[in-house]
Amino acid sequence: MAKLNVTISADPRIDMMKFATMAKVREEAIQAAPAKEVSGVFPINENAKALHPDYLDLVVDSIIDRGEAQAKTFVLRRKDGAPLPYFRAGQYISLKLPLEGSFVTRSYSLCCSPKAALEGKYAITVRANPGGFAADRLLAGLKVGDPVISSGPQGFFYYEKLRDAKHVVGLAGGSGITPFLSLAEAIRDGVENFSLTLLFGSRDEKNILFREELDEIARVCPKFKVVHVLSEEEKEGFEYGFITAELIKKYAPEGEEFSVYLCGPEAMYRFLKPEIEKLGLPERLFRRKLIDVTKTPWDCEGYPQEARGRSFTILVRQGPQEWTIPASADEPVLVAVERAGIKAPSRCRAGECGWCRSRLLSGTVFIPQDNEMRRWADVHYGYIHPCCSFPTSDLTLEVPGEFF
Amino acid sequence: MPKYDIVVVGAGNAGMSAALQCQLLGLKTLLIEKHNLPGGAATSFVRGRFEIDPSLHELCDYGPADNPGDVRTMMADYGVKANFIEVGECFRCVSTYRDGTPMDVTMPAGIEAFIDKMEFYVPGSREKMTQLFDLFQEVLDGIAYITASRGNPDKAVLGTTYANMLKTGAYSTQEVFDALELPERCQDILSTYWSYLGVDMEHLAFIHYAAMVHKYTSRGAYILKHTSHELATAMVERFRELGGDVWFNCRAEEFLFRGEHCCGVRTNMGVVDCNYVLANINPDIIYGTMMPKELVPEREKKLSAARDRKIGGRMYTAYFCLDCTAEELGIHDYTIFLPGTADSPTEYDNIMKGMKYNNFSIFNCYNIANPECSPPGTCLCGFTTFGSPVDWNDLKQEDYFRFKEEGIDKLLANLKEKLGFDLSGHIEEIEICSPWTFARYLGVPEGGVYGYEPRDWDGMMARMQMIAYDYPIKGLRPIGAAGPRGDGYAASMICGRLMALNALLDLKKWKEEGGKA
Ligand SMILES: Cc1cc2nc3c(=O)[nH]c(=O)nc-3n(C[C@H](O)[C@H](O)[C@H](O)COP(=O)(O)OP(=O)(O)OC[C@H]3O[C@@H](n4cnc5c(N)ncnc54)[C@H](O)[C@@H]3O)c2cc1C
Ligand code: FES
Repeated sequence: MAKLNVTISADPRIDMMKFATMAKVREEAIQAAPAKEVSGVFPINENAKALHPDYLDLVVDSIIDRGEAQAKTFVLRRKDGAPLPYFRAGQYISLKLPLEGSFVTRSYSLCCSPKAALEGKYAITVRANPGGFAADRLLAGLKVGDPVISSGPQGFFYYEKLRDAKHVVGLAGGSGITPFLSLAEAIRDGVENFSLTLLFGSRDEKNILFREELDEIARVCPKFKVVHVLSEEEKEGFEYGFITAELIKKYAPEGEEFSVYLCGPEAMYRFLKPEIEKLGLPERLFRRKLIDVTKTPWDCEGYPQEARGRSFTILVRQGPQEWTIPASADEPVLVAVERAGIKAPSRCRAGECGWCRSRLLSGTVFIPQDNEMRRWADVHYGYIHPCCSFPTSDLTLEVPGEFF
Repeated sequence: MPKYDIVVVGAGNAGMSAALQCQLLGLKTLLIEKHNLPGGAATSFVRGRFEIDPSLHELCDYGPADNPGDVRTMMADYGVKANFIEVGECFRCVSTYRDGTPMDVTMPAGIEAFIDKMEFYVPGSREKMTQLFDLFQEVLDGIAYITASRGNPDKAVLGTTYANMLKTGAYSTQEVFDALELPERCQDILSTYWSYLGVDMEHLAFIHYAAMVHKYTSRGAYILKHTSHELATAMVERFRELGGDVWFNCRAEEFLFRGEHCCGVRTNMGVVDCNYVLANINPDIIYGTMMPKELVPEREKKLSAARDRKIGGRMYTAYFCLDCTAEELGIHDYTIFLPGTADSPTEYDNIMKGMKYNNFSIFNCYNIANPECSPPGTCLCGFTTFGSPVDWNDLKQEDYFRFKEEGIDKLLANLKEKLGFDLSGHIEEIEICSPWTFARYLGVPEGGVYGYEPRDWDGMMARMQMIAYDYPIKGLRPIGAAGPRGDGYAASMICGRLMALNALLDLKKWKEEGGKA
């Protein structure tokens, strides 16, 4: 490069010595400051921690038996009753449950207004699930005063003004009603500002969960409306049958854009998918709660049938530790890890949150398309979400650590 | 529990680079990261059918194969392979000149093209601009020389080969622009980049600014085809290949000392013994919360007090996944700066006064640089601005979600007014990240991803010259954006590498002294 002669050399404002003294100037500035103790505490960081704790140590404050709806609402609080992290109506918490030598996670939508958190309360509702592992044990075993470890509020099933239409048609089935109760209460309390028309499918009238609560909110809050749809009982004042495109159109606002939110069991989702397609909504106006991982992976497209029913071995590594554990092809890898009593992270158990992200060092797994939400590089470099990956061979797996 | 030569705490850009360098040097290295994935700011998240890079707009100093920058060379040395994509033009800036007239300029990459375009916007500026770029080049060479000398440059070489760097190096960018008598509108257009360093032109050292602008214009800017998570994962997997261990969800809680030597780390996965720690953590956090108070050296206490929490780059961002193409919205530029004015000290002050006064934003449309970054028929866009403690320190949780939405609403209205881009009715997914979010995920003070402001006396060159003094704790060096090279992917990676080399020297020295190791 040709040497330039910058005209600034003639500029009286420029002092060539200044460069040589830069370090000295800096040292002087440092030495002039007081040698006081360094504080590593910053309000913004404290706020972030309070809103997103590693875990919450809670106790059961009270229990509401939902009778024929076969469910219980557990109201949870901190031991000292202090406020809980605020949340967005529709979010869930993930409980970390020590059950029979395992640590298992189960997520439950918060079914209370975000205002409850300020008063130090969260509410979740657990519905009976015969044949399941955790739900019935919770219903039978969890008593007032019992400790519960929980994650902070999670998930993306909430109203977002910049994205959603001003009017939402909610489609709920069974225990999928829980986030909608929270949304309805939030509207009632002025925390959220949109209109919600809820189509709620239940088997029969006596089976309707939160019947009184929902009707009461609808009575006092003009922005909320609930329509009960009964599949096994024909009765005045109720819709009969299943939720269909026709029914949605009947109750949706006319001539106005609306969003559809769906939360219900897998069967309901499969039934409603083509119905919702008939509405011709753009993708942005349709939100659904996560799809649980299938119990029958062999029914999924692409499943290697020869793996079905087989037993495998997983070598699990976590930091400096190592275990060899048994696994069944019919259960997600995460379940095998939990059965072995290993504390490994998970939250949504549906492939979405990425909390369980682990490195697959050897072996193969099957991942149902509905739960495939990994990052590009994770797919490319062999990271899996064990919550929705079924082993199809022996594996070597490196799982992340835990914080409790 | 195995014992390691080095534990690198934090797999941010600096940590990953340091870990790779240590392992290449033959040191038995453990990399621990408190999250379950690597990268720190260099990461991605998935929403619906989109994968989003939350931080990288423009990777500085990668460069094409025939003009490689430090990052390209470093990746080659490390054996890390990833899909880098060149961004194309430097920037578009829509704002107001200091003389009050509206500004709408688009500056291309490539020094000649940049100078030509400047001549087009500011006729008669060619000669001064050419001089300025020559000066940039010399500054860049000088910094490379000083870096190679590890803070011990030969004064004679500096005085002859890098005389112009010496002349300008200690001054603010504004002072050098004035001394060069650069036309005001040129200055205004050039000032656009100030926000990448977070210090306005009157307090930003020329040397730092010069190095950055020269690298962006001469070597172009890059992003990753599959988000920064691609790069982070590639780095970590290469580190494993070289024999390094990586533990995710492993958080350093405390640094352990034997006498005055750091000799281990207490984590949620147990105590790890080692001879040296490189911590990708801000020094205030280390000294204030992670080690015995009585072992924090006097000088580091003074340094912290002198910096007085001048944290840089408290990010406040929003990401939009849109159900239409960029073309349909009329978007043709990758990066559009939208400052209220070209007067950077005013912009800085307004940002610090909070969202009510803050009119600064950067708008990116990733598909312009990387057409396949989102599914066909869609596009990915994002806003970046800065938060102020005025807004975010005392904000209540119950007001948080609404508050962060309102600020972005304001930026959306500004975008519509100034550029006619109307995103409403197209937003399929949206995520808003505030300084709280960055504080949560990175652990950085106040969500500031630029470390300390490289302001006035604490500029990059002054820090570089004092590396020998700034690390008085035996066996523990902080690395990252708060280090001598300042913020950004490139600077953090270079810092990680530099400190790894320093650690090796320390270890050798102690061994010779018959002490530790
Ligand atoms: C929105 C945004 C836009 C940006 N745009 C650009 C751009 O266009 N170009 C550019 O070059 N730069 C950009 N940056 C800046 C750049 O990302 C940062 O300056 C750089 O990545 C900082 O790297 P770092 O190594 O200092 O640390 P960080 O990214 O902060 O990483 C630190 C890591 O350490 C981990 N850690 C912290 N404490 C502990 C502990 N106790 N135990 C274990 N692990 C711990 C953290 O989890 C994290 O992974 C941007 C940043 C943001 C957020
Ligand atoms: S637990 Fe959420 S992805 Fe596995």
